[in-house]
Amino acid sequence: MGLLTLIVVLPLAGFLLNGLAGNRLGKGFVSAVGCGMPAIAFAVTVKCFLDLKAGGWSPIAETAYVWTMVGQDTFEVAFWFDRLTAVMALIVTGVGTLIHVYSIGYMHEDKSYARYFAYLNLFLVFMLLLVLGKSLLVLFVGWEGVGLASYLLIGFWFGDMEKAAAGKKAFIVNRIGDAGFLLGMFVIYSAIGTLDMPRINAAFAGASVPAVSASLVGILLFIGATGKSAQIPLYVWLPAAMAGPTPVSALIHAATMVTAGVYLVARMSGIYLHAPEASTLIATIGALTALMAATIAVAQDDIKKVLAYSTVSQLGFMFVALGVGAYGVAVFHVYTHAFFKACLFLGAGSVIHAMSGEQDIKKMGGLARKIPVTFATFAVATAAIAGIPPLSGFFSKDEILWFALASDRGGSWLLLAVMSFTALLTAFYMFRLLWLTFFGKPRMIKEVEHHIHESPPSMTVVLMVLALLSAVGGFLSIPHFLEPMVALPGVRPGMDAFHYWVVGGSIAIAAAGLAGAAWFFSGDASRAARVKESFSGLYRVLSNKYFVDEFYDRAINRPLLWVSDAVFLKLGDRMLLDGTLNGLASLAQRAAGRLSRVQSGSLHKYAFLVLVGMVASLVWMWRNG
Amino acid sequence: MLQVLAASLFALGLTGVIIRRNVLVMLMCMELMLNGVNLSLVTFAHTMGSAVGAVLVFLIFVVATAEIAIAIPVVLLLVRRKRTLDIESYTDLKG
Amino acid sequence: MISDFLAYLDTLLLWTFAGCAFVSAALMLVLRQPMRVAMALVSCMVFLGGVYGLLGVHFIAAFQVLIYVGAVMVFMVYAIMLLDPRDEAASGGKYSKFFWPGLIGFALLAEALAVGYWNDLPHAPRGAAGEPFDITRFSAAFLSEYWLHFELTSVLLLAAVVAALAVIKENRRHDRG
Repeated sequence: MGLLTLIVVLPLAGFLLNGLAGNRLGKGFVSAVGCGMPAIAFAVTVKCFLDLKAGGWSPIAETAYVWTMVGQDTFEVAFWFDRLTAVMALIVTGVGTLIHVYSIGYMHEDKSYARYFAYLNLFLVFMLLLVLGKSLLVLFVGWEGVGLASYLLIGFWFGDMEKAAAGKKAFIVNRIGDAGFLLGMFVIYSAIGTLDMPRINAAFAGASVPAVSASLVGILLFIGATGKSAQIPLYVWLPAAMAGPTPVSALIHAATMVTAGVYLVARMSGIYLHAPEASTLIATIGALTALMAATIAVAQDDIKKVLAYSTVSQLGFMFVALGVGAYGVAVFHVYTHAFFKACLFLGAGSVIHAMSGEQDIKKMGGLARKIPVTFATFAVATAAIAGIPPLSGFFSKDEILWFALASDRGGSWLLLAVMSFTALLTAFYMFRLLWLTFFGKPRMIKEVEHHIHESPPSMTVVLMVLALLSAVGGFLSIPHFLEPMVALPGVRPGMDAFHYWVVGGSIAIAAAGLAGAAWFFSGDASRAARVKESFSGLYRVLSNKYFVDEFYDRAINRPLLWVSDAVFLKLGDRMLLDGTLNGLASLAQRAAGRLSRVQSGSLHKYAFLVLVGMVASLVWMWRNG
Repeated sequence: MLQVLAASLFALGLTGVIIRRNVLVMLMCMELMLNGVNLSLVTFAHTMGSAVGAVLVFLIFVVATAEIAIAIPVVLLLVRRKRTLDIESYTDLKG
Repeated sequence: MISDFLAYLDTLLLWTFAGCAFVSAALMLVLRQPMRVAMALVSCMVFLGGVYGLLGVHFIAAFQVLIYVGAVMVFMVYAIMLLDPRDEAASGGKYSKFFWPGLIGFALLAEALAVGYWNDLPHAPRGAAGEPFDITRFSAAFLSEYWLHFELTSVLLLAAVVAALAVIKENRRHDRG
């Protein structure tokens, strides 16, 4: 078995062991296997990375087995390891392992401990299939699989109907996006004849461009990406997914699964380089999503919901980068976002743990002294996401803003303006979160205040590691690392002069956000309360997330339910199908009833019929000789 | 000519079965039908000179005897139950 | 001349017997009382026996009178005598509901048969024509070609005996109960 296959198989073994035997073998075993497998997978990934480097960065390909052959075409389960995959795989296994370790402490009291780690490992299997896959088919298997794992984990506490419903929502919304993905795959296959990703990219870049619109394919694949990576219009599942355990939110909905869409577009850059309409669409939707999510996050009071909308917004940033052709920059943001968002989510988990389950930030405050480690790491991660130099977020966000302006594939002042404003909002609401949670006077009930305690080392050590990575990770310049694979876009003429203005501007934005939040929310947050009063209508719209869920319910759910009920159930099922069956049966019954009247019991009648028959047959016989 | 007689005896017998009400009379009409057939067979045996006709007639004798031997007691039992000889009231096998 | 007369006598007797048989049969449909119907049937059978005799199959004629009249019709008369006092058929009239359909059917059947015969008229019999078919030939046939049928008839009669016994038992049970 090759190394790449081993990377995928290790978490699979963990899933099987924990899933089948975990309950019987105790928490120690489950923790060891559940965290050990991803750790070993990470080690193997590092080894593969070193192999890659030693081999002069030429991609490693490995076929696990041949899945099926249809006519002339072979579909294999094959893995591919190049620079992009290396970055993604290292993030998935590395951050994944850290979150597994964190879960030991967080889920310690939970009675479904083994099931949790089994599902978490299952998720890793599929995510690794996704990033390591060589063909769109293997990627799609991983794509669907992470959707499944996400459903299982969001609805982990399925006894609560709301949480189970959140799981369902995630899965169903994802599936809608997957329809677009599938259509894209079909178009590619029928046009090019292969689903092998390196070959697809080569086909589009080659001399004879296939006779299919690259934009069509690009848009179809992007529809899948909107589902998985929570862009407009399919982002609604991500806030609801906060019903799952917090480490799940950290792993799946911050660091890895939601970046699958970004990975897809970056991987298929060969298509998107030749699809200007699709790229414009991506950039537009990314910008709109980022802005919209940021505005909603300003008005949210649940600590996890703020982070959820923040994730949606940051994904929007990544898609803007993809839309203007800066694929490497988007991946850079994936990389930094994984660190600071995971740190933020895990920190939130630590806060919730300390607050005995409370998630409303209006009921927090003054926690900085009480849980110092959590506070420190949370603060570092917040600064990173806000874009304060020299933390990692600053580098990646700055690159995105620069290319939003200057890329010769769609950069513009408008795009820069929108993204800058969104960055300002990002800094603002993140520092708002920090202030309301950790500073000021404690606003919680006395009971909860007594129980505040720092989290166990399994949780705090992970937080510290992630905070450290958030701080220094930016110095590893991923875009330049990926440049031999996906070139950075050129700069529009005349834009070079503005480069340092943009850098300076982004620093100023981050500082302004910090200052604004401090001014509004420090002390007793009275100034913020007054603003909220005067803009109460706007506040209501924002805190209700623009009523999008209600709109979807009215516009889509109810008509669908109505159609299902009135047309398919009543008309189709009951009237047509049941009616036909019952009608046939009753027809048979009635016919039999009528026919049985022939047997009247009167012998005379029978004899008469014999005579009639005899006459008829005689006549017939003698007429026809 | 004898064939015509045979055919008409048969037709009369069948009509008698249809027309008459008394169960015993119906039985007798059935005997008449058998006689018509017998006559037809004997005539064929005579004109064609084969033995088959006569043999078959003899067999029909035997069968008719056996049939009557059972049919009459059955009718007796039936009449005892229904207390009438009217076939119109023997409609238990209706439907 | 005597032989001519004799030949003529054959045909005359044949026609007489045939005509009387037909009339008796027709009477059967008309008479009301079952005993009279039985008598009509007896006379029809006897006339048919005469016809068989004139056709040369004397033993068949003998069997006709012996078995058919002597056994079957006697049994029938016996049954009529048993059941007659309880005859309620008078209450509904002697004809059934199917009187008119029956008559029409008869007409149709007669017409169908007539038409069939008209197109395909069999020869008229000529006294005792051809080789006399006597009892020797008859018995030989039964013991050689048709031995199976002979055996089967004995089985049939056995079945009839068993059935008769069953009826007697049923009778006895009914009498007791």
